[in-house]
Amino acid sequence: MKRRHLFAGVAGLAASTLLLAACGNGPTPAAAPTPTEDPSGSITFWSSLAGMDKVAEAFNASQDKIKVSFETIPNGANGGYAKLSTAITAGNGPDVATIEYPQLPQFVSNSQVVPLDGLINKAETVDKLTDETKALVQFGDKTYALPYDAAPMLMWYRKDMLAKAGVEVPKTWDEFEEAGKKLKAAAPNSYLASFNPNEVAASAGLAWQAGAKWFGTEGDSWKVGVNDEATQKVASYWQKLIDEKIVKVTQAYSDEWSLDLANSTVVGVLGANWSATGIQKRTEASGQKGQWIAAELPTWGNESGAFYGGSSFNVTKSSKNPAAAAKFVEFLTTNQEAIKARGNTGSAFLAFPGLTPVAQKAYDASYFGNDIYEVFNKAYGTITPGWQWGPNWDITNTALKDAYGKLTTGGTIHDAVDTAQDATVGGLKQAGLSVKE
Amino acid sequence: MATQALTTTVPRRGRALAGTGGRTAALFLVPFFAVFAIAMIAPVIYSLVLSFHSQQKSGLGFGEAKTVFVGLENYVQVFQSETFVEGIARLGLYCLIYIPCMVGGAVVFALLLDASVAKARKLFQLLVFLPHAVPGVIAALIWAYLYTPGISPLVQALQGGGIQINFLDAHMVLPSIVNIGVWEWTGYNVIILFTALQAVPREILEAARVDGAGEIRAAISIKFPLILPALSVIMLFTIIGTLQLFTEPSIISKATASVTSTWVPNLWAYDAAFIRHNLNQAAAASVIIAGLAAILSLAVTRLSSRMNKS
Repeated sequence: MKRRHLFAGVAGLAASTLLLAACGNGPTPAAAPTPTEDPSGSITFWSSLAGMDKVAEAFNASQDKIKVSFETIPNGANGGYAKLSTAITAGNGPDVATIEYPQLPQFVSNSQVVPLDGLINKAETVDKLTDETKALVQFGDKTYALPYDAAPMLMWYRKDMLAKAGVEVPKTWDEFEEAGKKLKAAAPNSYLASFNPNEVAASAGLAWQAGAKWFGTEGDSWKVGVNDEATQKVASYWQKLIDEKIVKVTQAYSDEWSLDLANSTVVGVLGANWSATGIQKRTEASGQKGQWIAAELPTWGNESGAFYGGSSFNVTKSSKNPAAAAKFVEFLTTNQEAIKARGNTGSAFLAFPGLTPVAQKAYDASYFGNDIYEVFNKAYGTITPGWQWGPNWDITNTALKDAYGKLTTGGTIHDAVDTAQDATVGGLKQAGLSVKE
Repeated sequence: MATQALTTTVPRRGRALAGTGGRTAALFLVPFFAVFAIAMIAPVIYSLVLSFHSQQKSGLGFGEAKTVFVGLENYVQVFQSETFVEGIARLGLYCLIYIPCMVGGAVVFALLLDASVAKARKLFQLLVFLPHAVPGVIAALIWAYLYTPGISPLVQALQGGGIQINFLDAHMVLPSIVNIGVWEWTGYNVIILFTALQAVPREILEAARVDGAGEIRAAISIKFPLILPALSVIMLFTIIGTLQLFTEPSIISKATASVTSTWVPNLWAYDAAFIRHNLNQAAAASVIIAGLAAILSLAVTRLSSRMNKS
């Protein structure tokens, strides 16, 4: 809150939000993306991923035509996309940006990233990817990004607590519920996992695994199914877990969440390969070394899985040197040196074939009680096909996150997905998009 | 903000121009008006323009968007948004709790300070003002820590005393955020009121004392009416400040799902602009908030000038 003189105050109110908005005018014409065999020049690179400063350094050291200057920006939850989107629209964004898969379509739809076709060597990059990862970066018949990591959704458990409850690692969601009940009997104050209202991408992942399709296209229209049948099934199931106090509702990454892990109140994490560092950081001091294990998601019967998180690298519309930017994007996503340069900064699982072993070698996984990369590999092989992200993920994200706020006062996950469906359809229609429910 | 000091010169301009030094004064004022026009007037006009337009896409939305004039449609959409209206209602409720607590507290503290002995006065003045010296973001972070169950020593102490309370659940979170505001702003306003109290002519107080008024009677019947003008200034600042409520809820929202991303109108506008990428709707929402501030400020000024006259 700020206090100002009346006049300045009233004017300032309108100005404060919109001064920034003012930058949004006048689309900057992007330099025509002409492929150059041997691009050179200076480019800028924004990312919130750990270790990217070292990767940029390694690229600069490996050649002397292109010079990359790196800048750390906040992650998406802390305003990173607001910064990126505003900067690109204002024409002073970076040449190379980092965008997670759910957000990518909206950057494409707002024409804030340029197609890479013609800028990259397709045979050596995109063509080598699996169909599931390709689907995350291709829209229409164009490629708008090269995928960096492919993050399979996983469950992380405390194996000592599972042993205490007398259960094996749950293979199905029924077994998961059963394990939760047994854990409650053995340790009444413990929860098998937490349900995180602020991690809507996790809800999406669970729905994805169950075969839901939140977004799809039918001709020239979007088809939105945030509360489709498969999602309803998942919603009922998790509501039951919340009601039975098998999972605890907490904001992921909050102090409460961290403390719950440290003091064994919550003994499982619904996460992905990248969760390892966060778990280690929060539980190391509590003597939980060797107790955490990675496991494939419990299933609904058939082998199935989903991606949860993961980022792509893009060339933005504000880039004055898209050819050089694309060259760097190729390095970031396909070159082993780029992965080596990260060092021991996290348990990455990469989309491009042949890179994951490099990341695995660099990562010190000795904290964990099983071979986590073996689990990653298995989970990666079970991704349920056919998922697509929508043209404005953040409408759905905000609506669902906010509706989850009512979970502690009698709201249900069912209500929340219904609210999110309405908000998504309404929001897209307001933008003039054609939507079918 | 530099403009704060400078805007106070606005009413004086007319008089200065009429005088002999008019040209010199105008020369000195040019830099201010130049900056004011660029940083204040232009964005306001631009946001008004934005609020009457809309970016329309078609089909799947992967083509270029067209800017079209839509009249009042953005305003209609904002008012039709359940979350925006809820935000306004929530802000109203916030004001109903916050303003009496904060302003009442400030009056009581200021009167107590004024009545206390000179030595203690300096110390208490400092202690009361100290919370305001903590930046809003830091204060919100500290309070978020104090409110979080399982971590907070405060919650733990209350539990030890047999009181189970979750400051961050959907019912308690509003009073919890009010508390942060009160903690931050009471001291600041105590200083303003205390300064006004210092200006109360001592002979009036002496006359009251001769007539047999005790400290409490003098405070209620003499001092309080004499600081009413200062109080109305405080009310004005408080109302404008409260409408801009943003920092505290946005920090607390990281700790609990009870605070949604559209919890108050300013958060709604932020969400519209930078999360949902609808600058036009955000512009309309901002204009509505500014309009509300203008109406409320006018009401407070009218009311207080009427009170001062009577």
